[in-house]
Amino acid sequence: MTAVLIKAIRDLRRRRLQAAVVFVTTMLAVGTGTIALTLIAQTNDPYQVAFEAQKGAHLVVDFDGRVDPGTLATTPAAIGASAFAGPYRATDMQFQSRSHKYTVTTIARDNPGGDVGQLRITGGRWPSSGNEIALTRSFADLNQVSIGDRLRVLSVPGAPILTVVGLVVDIDELRADVGGQQHAWVIESAFGSLTTKGTSYYKMDYRFASDPTSAELQAHLDTLRASLPPDSITSSITYIFARTVFHISTQILTGVLVAFSIFALVATAAIVANLVTGIVISAYREIGIMKAVGFTPTQVIGVFVLQILVPTAAACVIGIPAAMVLSQPLLASNSQALGLAYQPAYSPVLGLLALAGALLIVTVAALIPAFRAGRLKPALVIANASAPRGQSGRWIRRAASLVRMPRPVVLGLGDSAARPVRAILTVLAIVLGVATVIVALGETRTFSEIYSYEGHVGKVDVVVAKSPALADADATRLIDSQPETGRVVAEAFANITAKGIADPVNTLTFRGDSAKLGYLLTSGRWFTGPGEVVANGGFVHDAHLNLGDTFTGTVNGSALTLRIVGVVYDFTAGPGGHIMMLDWSTLAAAVPDLSPSSYMVALKPGSNLDAYVRRLSAAQPDLLDVQAASAGNTAFLSVIAAVLLGIAGLIALIAVAGIFNTLLLNTRERLRDTATLKTLGMSPRQVLGMVASSAAFMALLGGLVAVPAGIWVYRILFDQLSNLGGNITPPVFYDVYANWELVAIPLAGVFVAIAAALIPGWWAARTNVVEVLHAE
Amino acid sequence: MSSELVRLTDLTKVYQGGITGALNGVSVSVDKGEFAAIMGPSGSGKSTMLNLIAGLDRPTSGTVSVGGTDLGKLGEAGLARFRRDHIGFVFQFFYLLQNLTALENVLIPAQLKGNSAGARARQLMERLGIQDVANRYPARLSGGQQQRVALARALINDPTLLLADEPTGALDTHTGDQVMELLGQLHRDGQTILLVTHDAKLATRHAARVLSVLDGKIVDDARLESPERAASEVIRVRGEEVSR
Repeated sequence: MTAVLIKAIRDLRRRRLQAAVVFVTTMLAVGTGTIALTLIAQTNDPYQVAFEAQKGAHLVVDFDGRVDPGTLATTPAAIGASAFAGPYRATDMQFQSRSHKYTVTTIARDNPGGDVGQLRITGGRWPSSGNEIALTRSFADLNQVSIGDRLRVLSVPGAPILTVVGLVVDIDELRADVGGQQHAWVIESAFGSLTTKGTSYYKMDYRFASDPTSAELQAHLDTLRASLPPDSITSSITYIFARTVFHISTQILTGVLVAFSIFALVATAAIVANLVTGIVISAYREIGIMKAVGFTPTQVIGVFVLQILVPTAAACVIGIPAAMVLSQPLLASNSQALGLAYQPAYSPVLGLLALAGALLIVTVAALIPAFRAGRLKPALVIANASAPRGQSGRWIRRAASLVRMPRPVVLGLGDSAARPVRAILTVLAIVLGVATVIVALGETRTFSEIYSYEGHVGKVDVVVAKSPALADADATRLIDSQPETGRVVAEAFANITAKGIADPVNTLTFRGDSAKLGYLLTSGRWFTGPGEVVANGGFVHDAHLNLGDTFTGTVNGSALTLRIVGVVYDFTAGPGGHIMMLDWSTLAAAVPDLSPSSYMVALKPGSNLDAYVRRLSAAQPDLLDVQAASAGNTAFLSVIAAVLLGIAGLIALIAVAGIFNTLLLNTRERLRDTATLKTLGMSPRQVLGMVASSAAFMALLGGLVAVPAGIWVYRILFDQLSNLGGNITPPVFYDVYANWELVAIPLAGVFVAIAAALIPGWWAARTNVVEVLHAE
Repeated sequence: MSSELVRLTDLTKVYQGGITGALNGVSVSVDKGEFAAIMGPSGSGKSTMLNLIAGLDRPTSGTVSVGGTDLGKLGEAGLARFRRDHIGFVFQFFYLLQNLTALENVLIPAQLKGNSAGARARQLMERLGIQDVANRYPARLSGGQQQRVALARALINDPTLLLADEPTGALDTHTGDQVMELLGQLHRDGQTILLVTHDAKLATRHAARVLSVLDGKIVDDARLESPERAASEVIRVRGEEVSR
């Protein structure tokens, strides 16, 4: 063993460059894997910590305002809840802060404590008078509202002013940056003046002795529904849904990170296998001598594997902790969103897992070529300084000659395939590198596209939100009076109960040419008349419906006969959520007082958007919120994009290391040929060109394979993302790459490969002919 | 009427680490059309001299001039062009590119110049008797055939000077004789040749001039024949008479 160790360490010193390649490659790969593992494992789940600390509700149910509060007080016992809070009165309240208008769910509550759903005050204090309000901290942060700011309530007559006195974290509501209307709190006595008749409802928080399953929660909801008058429950949120939404960014990242980690490890294995093969090839005579002096085949294999394991272990020692540190900011954002003091989450088990995985993969990759060394016959290899030179690549040279390429280029192209296995492994590393960049670019772009799609960007120019205090007719008159107004589609929300779906289904009701809003249908068609409905995939699935099926929906106690004519691509309903869309005429009779909450306006061509927004805002500054259509706040997408592109960059670097390694091996093995060519008059520039063309060819080949492969992987990952929302991806969403990009990305790979070829090429160009040929 | 092609002036080459083969103040010239042999034992400096003349190495001091070009004034790219245009090199171990056919090997120097030279390559191969193996790879050629391919490769650009470093060292006697016959024929056709060998018989049988090198110095410069002087049967090499 000592002899093996000594020989391995001596060889390692001699092969410092190869060791450096292994070190860098493994460090990048193990770093990528560790970041992925850390994010996926969420070693210290801040949501769970906060949920327990704040006695989070397992089930939050909104009840219609007409339900008797006394009856609601009996519901916890009916469903076996171990603790409850409420009923709290709640209402949707619109307010203005500076020039922006917002709608929040305002809850009447005298204190932040209680047995369920305790509120953590992260800034200021709890409201103590009728003109004070506490806001959800994530909402305040996102919209830059601070303690002391004065909010003008627009949803009630008189526009009372409330002062922000506290910022609060509520574990039972959805994250502000991902979506969902946020909570605000006022004291009980202040609530009456902030609501109008028929607009308030009740909230109940339920907590159970142990964490219930989805099925159990569904059963509790069914029990509640059965014990109350029809349509009493207007909506509900389970802790499972809230947790899923809280972790949505990690969930979105998970599939991509797993794929990227596999890419990184496969690329590293390819590079290590190449490297060990190269060492074995160049050390033929030495292997013979080792065997001649008494090394057994196993010991020979041990020498080669140890040479790789030492830099691999060193890479892990640096790479794993570094990756754990690098992944903390994303984890920290989760803690900060919950107002928790961030405690870095370092898991020794996870680190050991990454270490074991890296050592195992590298060992296997090194063992395969090392076995070749172990099997070599001493007498044969002592007579040969190195393995027979690769003879493949003739067809490439011939083809290149036919198109009359310069001779150094022809030779370089042939060299690239001289050792086919090495070429294949190198191209594999390049494919993985380029494909990762394509996937990362596609995914990040898709997230933005989805947000733009949901915001109707490009389909409408202006979104006008209306306060409930303003009549539909007045708002419509104001909008229509603007000369630039082109097409207007009014949107109202309604809740329709459907058989097989626990909660009333959030239903978007459109007035106007809603087909022009640009909703994508994964099957069927857009509705064209009363009774026709489009719904998301989750609804169609959970209600056991097919396209063309008719079902009965109930709204305000009235039964509606509805027919599914299309399945719409939608993310707003969230994971496992349901949504329907239909025409105004469908609800006109059942909901006579239906009033739009917003108007989506397309301007006439040539209109000045900013001037339009300014003018319409000025026409009704209090009760209309006029904004240019946008993708909304996509801050969390920036974090996801940074993580994806960062990791893609790391894997691309691994690919660069792979091509560098291969060129290094090729140029060293072909040193005598290069010396001969120099003797024959090949200039240093031509030598450089020869090496660079070899790199460029492999990169081009890898790029050509990587483009369709990357698009394929991107589609699989995007389909997974679509499935989160119960959707099938519409083909148009696959089309996120411009044609020029699909040419430019592999070409960029070629340029990077040429850059990576400069050092080995320069070394080859500097070959000392006399020394090389003398050594022969 | 002969004119000077190669001039070495006070040429010294010292290797770092004291590797043998250094030159120590060598001055000599070779005329156009000469067939000169540089002879000496291993480590005497003869290959070093050849490498310096080919511009493969740079002298520690002194100058090398070939065809009026001072090689010391050329950069790496200039030296590569110089070799491409003026030098043909034949090695002891042939140094054919194993992944190219015989014909492709022959064509390489011309292609590096941007010429196709297919017709000339085939003509040379026919002249050297290797036209039948044009499409074979070196591994499938005999030693003699490989050296002829190397010779054809050296001649493809019609070099001013042909340098041959132990061209028969890796061949059997019979094949070696054939190669030397070819060199002799080329010389008779006007090719200037500088041959490095440690074999005195080989040097004196084919070359018209023998430069004896020992410990980095030229210790003998024997001119064996010239238009003015007929070939003798015996020449003096390193102070001793050697029969031709």
